[in-house]
Amino acid sequence: MEGNIEALTGALSLVGYGLGAVGPGIGIGIVAGNAITAMARQPEMQGTIRTTMFLGIALTEALALIGFVLFFIASAG
Amino acid sequence: MILASECDVANEVICAPANVNELFDFPTIFTIGGFEVSRTEILMILAALVTVAVLYFGLRQQRLVPSKFGAAVEGLVGFVRDDIARSVIGPEGTKYLPYLMSLFFFILMGNIFELTPFINFPVTSRMAIPFFLSLITYVIFMFMGFARNNFRYFTETVWPKAVPIGLRWLVGLIEVFSIFLLRPITLAVRLFANMVAGHLMLTLLLTSGLVFILAIPDIGLKGSIGIFWFALGLFMFLLEILIGVLQAYIFTLLTAIYIDSSIHFEH
Repeated sequence: MEGNIEALTGALSLVGYGLGAVGPGIGIGIVAGNAITAMARQPEMQGTIRTTMFLGIALTEALALIGFVLFFIASAG
Repeated sequence: MILASECDVANEVICAPANVNELFDFPTIFTIGGFEVSRTEILMILAALVTVAVLYFGLRQQRLVPSKFGAAVEGLVGFVRDDIARSVIGPEGTKYLPYLMSLFFFILMGNIFELTPFINFPVTSRMAIPFFLSLITYVIFMFMGFARNNFRYFTETVWPKAVPIGLRWLVGLIEVFSIFLLRPITLAVRLFANMVAGHLMLTLLLTSGLVFILAIPDIGLKGSIGIFWFALGLFMFLLEILIGVLQAYIFTLLTAIYIDSSIHFEH
């Protein structure tokens, strides 16, 4: 049976992005969860912890965002 | 929403746009000196004007007891000053307050346009705008990094002295990649991706919901699934308000963090 390769390419990049989003999802969960624990233990450090948390989230999220960009590149190309 | 009302429901139940680009590309309205002005540019200028207007009218008269609008604007300005500029960069963060504040208000307005009736289009979902904003941030934190730390900013990034010697090349590689390349790209793509996803989701849910509800006379009770989509769309509408404000906050906060990390480079 002849398949539609064009359609398959787009679907494959979708699957690829889905797989790529798993790791950052777990990572952001760990970062945010530990930040909440830290804030609960030391509420007076809240500002510093929040800043560090967003920096950590930004670094972790970068992987998912690279995946997002690659998804567009792969679907277009 | 606009899409659904233009769609001829009687003939075709599913009247999706031919391509997703139709949701983001608008035809040129007029041309000024080679620049093609479309709805996106008009909205972008509108966002800037609204930002200026809000700040001007909110802070025009400095009174001991500000008016209601003035108090709201003062609250937002105070939030950017205390919670972003000063708490991240420190006392000298006040110097960067004008940039951070205009960034925050412009992105906030651009995001809120997604939810404004009859506009319904987030200008920040066009890659050019978040990318240009993040390019300005990139130039600022690169300039400050080299101005404050001379060329040490680059050499210590490549070869960090604080790290054990065996790992230095690896940490240096990751740092160079992440600071000089990934920071501006991810900053822009984060805002862009969130706004594209929100705009698509709202359009799909509300449009398909309305189309199904309007088609109930033709396709019978099957169309009542549209009520569910529409309700979900309204819920997403509320969620998008949160996301719009949060993304403006995160963009500004990360800008402040990046500036801080290049000023206070030692730690």
